[in-house]
Amino acid sequence: MHSLVEPNAWIALKLPSGNTRILQIIPNTTVSLGKYGSFPSNLIIHRPYHLTYELQDKKPPETFNRLRIVPAAELYSDILSSSDSSNSPDEATPAPDGDDADIPLPTGVEYTLVDPESGAVVATTDRAELNAEARQTLTMEEIEELKKDATDAGKDLIAKLMLSHTAIDQKTEYSLAKYKLLKTRKYIRRFSVLPLDVAQLDYWLLEDKDPAKILDMREEMVALLGCWANVHFGGEDHCDSESPNEEGIESVPNPKQTPGRWLVVDDTGGLLVAAMAERMGILYPVKSKHLLEGPQRPRSPKARRREPPVQPIMTTTTDSHVPTHPAHQPIVAEDNPDVEPESQENDLSKPRSPQASRKPLGEAKQRSNDLQIPYAHANTLTVIHPNSQPNLSFLRYYDFDITNPTHTPTHPLTRHLMTLSWLQLLEPQLDSTYSSEAPNATPEELRSWKANRRGTYHRKRRRWARTHHVIDSARGGGFSGLVVSSTMDPISVMRHCVPLLAGGAPIAIYSQAIEPLTALADCYSIARRGAWVASPPGELAGCSLEEQEHWAGNDEFPLNPALVLGASIQTSRVRRWQVLPGRTHPLMTSKGGAEGYVFTGWRVKPAEGKVEARGKKRSKKRKVEEGQTQGQGEGGK
Amino acid sequence: METYKVSPFLDPGSLTTPDTLSIVHLSRDNIQPVYLQDTTGAVNGYAEGAVINTRFGSFPHSTLINKPWGSQIRASIVDTGSRGRKRKLEAIAADIAAEDTPDDGTGEDASSAGPTKDVKTAASGFIHILPPTPEVWTTSLPHRTQVVYTPDYSYILHRIRARPGMHIIEAGAGSGSFTHASARAVYNGYPTNGGEKKGKVWSFEFNEDRYKKMQEEIKSHLLEGLVQITHRDVYNDGFLVDGESPEADCVFLDLPAPWRALPHLSRRRPTPSQLASAGLEPLNGEESEWKSPLRSDRSVYICTFSPCIEQVTKTIDTMRRLGWMEIEMVEVAHRRINVMRERIGYNMPTERGANQSAGNVEEAVARLKEVERRFKEFNKGRPGATDANMDEDEEMLDEGDLVNGNASRVREAEGLEDTPSTKPWMVGRLIHRTEAEIKTHTSYLVFAILPQEWSEEQEAAAYETWPCGKESKVIGSLNKEARKQEKREMLEGKKRKKGPGGNKADGNHDSDQKNI
Repeated sequence: MHSLVEPNAWIALKLPSGNTRILQIIPNTTVSLGKYGSFPSNLIIHRPYHLTYELQDKKPPETFNRLRIVPAAELYSDILSSSDSSNSPDEATPAPDGDDADIPLPTGVEYTLVDPESGAVVATTDRAELNAEARQTLTMEEIEELKKDATDAGKDLIAKLMLSHTAIDQKTEYSLAKYKLLKTRKYIRRFSVLPLDVAQLDYWLLEDKDPAKILDMREEMVALLGCWANVHFGGEDHCDSESPNEEGIESVPNPKQTPGRWLVVDDTGGLLVAAMAERMGILYPVKSKHLLEGPQRPRSPKARRREPPVQPIMTTTTDSHVPTHPAHQPIVAEDNPDVEPESQENDLSKPRSPQASRKPLGEAKQRSNDLQIPYAHANTLTVIHPNSQPNLSFLRYYDFDITNPTHTPTHPLTRHLMTLSWLQLLEPQLDSTYSSEAPNATPEELRSWKANRRGTYHRKRRRWARTHHVIDSARGGGFSGLVVSSTMDPISVMRHCVPLLAGGAPIAIYSQAIEPLTALADCYSIARRGAWVASPPGELAGCSLEEQEHWAGNDEFPLNPALVLGASIQTSRVRRWQVLPGRTHPLMTSKGGAEGYVFTGWRVKPAEGKVEARGKKRSKKRKVEEGQTQGQGEGGK
Repeated sequence: METYKVSPFLDPGSLTTPDTLSIVHLSRDNIQPVYLQDTTGAVNGYAEGAVINTRFGSFPHSTLINKPWGSQIRASIVDTGSRGRKRKLEAIAADIAAEDTPDDGTGEDASSAGPTKDVKTAASGFIHILPPTPEVWTTSLPHRTQVVYTPDYSYILHRIRARPGMHIIEAGAGSGSFTHASARAVYNGYPTNGGEKKGKVWSFEFNEDRYKKMQEEIKSHLLEGLVQITHRDVYNDGFLVDGESPEADCVFLDLPAPWRALPHLSRRRPTPSQLASAGLEPLNGEESEWKSPLRSDRSVYICTFSPCIEQVTKTIDTMRRLGWMEIEMVEVAHRRINVMRERIGYNMPTERGANQSAGNVEEAVARLKEVERRFKEFNKGRPGATDANMDEDEEMLDEGDLVNGNASRVREAEGLEDTPSTKPWMVGRLIHRTEAEIKTHTSYLVFAILPQEWSEEQEAAAYETWPCGKESKVIGSLNKEARKQEKREMLEGKKRKKGPGGNKADGNHDSDQKNI
């Protein structure tokens, strides 16, 4: 995972300006970095991540810029030399480790114009800082001209700019460093390649793209949600769903034996699902063996290129329910080089209906048994969505298209991600697929049909089986946890989701604003819980615990307060710092926007019947408090 | 190879089982870890077997075992008083050899021999029993060292990309909160005979007491095979375990001087000048071949956790000299928020938390008028107050009072009548505030990344398989001209597809376009 840049992988390019750019690295193309120049994509394919490159000058007859890896010593030479130089003159008595400051460091040649001066410049620290632009003798035109034939990755230009600055000797050490940094960020032709994992995607969406789309969900919030919901690898399948003996529709497995099933409500376009899938180890496509073993020996681009699409093979085994081994399934090439990068960015939010998109190649591929469940039983995510189709478009950065999961049969999400709508969950009888009978045709009928009618028939049967499995297993409950990041009222979400959770299952809900969460927490307030225990609503008299769990709530008790324990709200914010020798402080500005809050709690199972909680008499002194402890059970907190 | 029982932290099952860790939840800040014991006979003088005593009553373990997780358990009637008395008496008895123990000596005999005593429910209260998670474990931790709390460790694990299957080095196991959280993060199954590499935590601890305690904990929490703890001074002896590299993908250093451990976390031996410039001593074992504890074919993520800014500057300086990239320092500010109902007003029920002062201006004015009216009534009969003008004024005031005062009285009456219908837990405005005490600073987190090494030969080989110069298309940021061109081509392509002619017609079509 993220060892070398794979061809057609989504990556993030970090530019000197601090911006990131998300790209799919298609072989044999030119990657343009705007004003910073361009380079061939092949130069970063099968190279490591996190390297900083510099665009070299074109060497005729080559028509492209080669890249040079910038070593760390060169990247940090300014900072390190400043820390060493500032150490030595200032310290009257050398610190125990300060006496080695004069050991020469590898300093970049390009800075010789400035560096020798820096010692002298320190002497003029008390002079007033001057407006940098006013003292620049180079005109705009001259700078533009220099930019055009800039050599040496722009360092040349930066040095010239510094030299032609008339007041450079009047600058303080710090303002000089700042001036240089400013010019470097503007002109240096460097970039670094970062893997597009969830943290990076979140950062990019938040900083450069559209934070509203992901409900301003910062990294620390994603991390808190995952931890409090206890989302982790949930174990292997106990029963092998692909066992060839299986016939007909599988029964819904006993929820007690299927650990690691999490329930998700995601209105962040799939970011939350991606983050949880990453925690469960089902986000990244499993790499083929040769890449795991020998990343240094990549296949030639020709060999990597997509093999001709596997022709759909129509076998007659399907109708007679004779199972073939799943290993016979043809593997459809998972990466499609024709996919346009950065295209249809705006379409991301709109769920695409499967009808609108082209029929996938894999669809025609034959499964041994139409009614076999293509989903795993453990380590799964079940997403409940408000529209008829889920919006999980950000998963496309991980080579997964929710509208066409059959496109990528080897992607782990294909087997571990299930989606259903609220209607399918709450009133499945109204769902047309669920309420209908499984299409059934005799083998004779089948044989008489044309190929594409037969294809439709099998597709419908598979869809019927899938829908039934997803709805039945979701309604069966027993989930290991609930994660919510939604614009919907959390009370309504909890009303229907809490009964689906197993006992002791954690709950974590994210909200941009605190008000929906305070309203939710108030449903579980100590006073309300006490009142529930003391006098439960009359309509529940004689109801079993099971019925009480599914109770719709009333004005006084919007939710059954006995089902959730430890309801609390928290928030967290990360503050970034600049750490430079002598200039360490928090960053001056950062992003505002929605603060973001997380509600946490546990699903619990109340005891049958009336529970008394008088507290314990401890001493006469405490007797006064006795009345307050009554019926609280949870203690005075 | 041994087979592992799955830790309750990773998969607790659906019921509580004996001899595994469970969490007894008393209140938000009162959580007790308990190893449930399935005992027969008396334990510790309790006839019911092992018992948990809380302020909500006593809970024999037998009432907690084989229950669904999250169950609410009622307290039981347990004889706690006579047990203490009995013990004392027994001690006395042993001393003075007195024969007549007043309490039931027979009962003790029966319980130690026979099955566990049946228990009766007590009315003193209840508890909930929860499966252990790193979060509740962290909350219930006894303070051995500074604990890495959930807001910090969740963010750290997210940033250092601790995912299923990773190997993580943790130096300074401390109280073990991070150990548990990271074990959950990297868990993708227990090691198997197949030799397939599974996620693992390589933990290092210098303090011997803490090391021993952690070792016990790992064992009792069934984390063996997932967590390997080593008693080690990592400053001097590095991170190799039995001479082998942990092949770590990510590193977490919770040490007083992380910069002293950093040189060991290099891909090749740091040069003496590198070390000297960072003010570090040369490493031990100069002669032996360098073995890096880091995974060689992947970028390695690191986080160091230090409370002081001086530690941070020193660490970052060393990181820069050792070639770490993307260095960033952050601090995490976390707040827990209390939600409550603010009850202010004259007509609020008199109970704790209610503020019996004016809820708004109208209420204040109404009350003032009421006071004024009473004052006047009181003064009415007094001599000297009878003035023609005053009388008039008073009459007017009375009228006004009649309107407003009545209104307020009516409101108050309504309020009183309301009380039975609006429940006390729904009265007042819903508010939130930060909890009374906040952790304003835990530690500074320094993050950095060490890319894998990339040699000239590797570069040359990669260039050979991926030659340049045949670029067909531009991706990424395009200038306006290029974007326009692309759009034109795209539209053209669409037209071509729609066009009635086949491939042959293309040439004409194109020229047509140009002509237009």
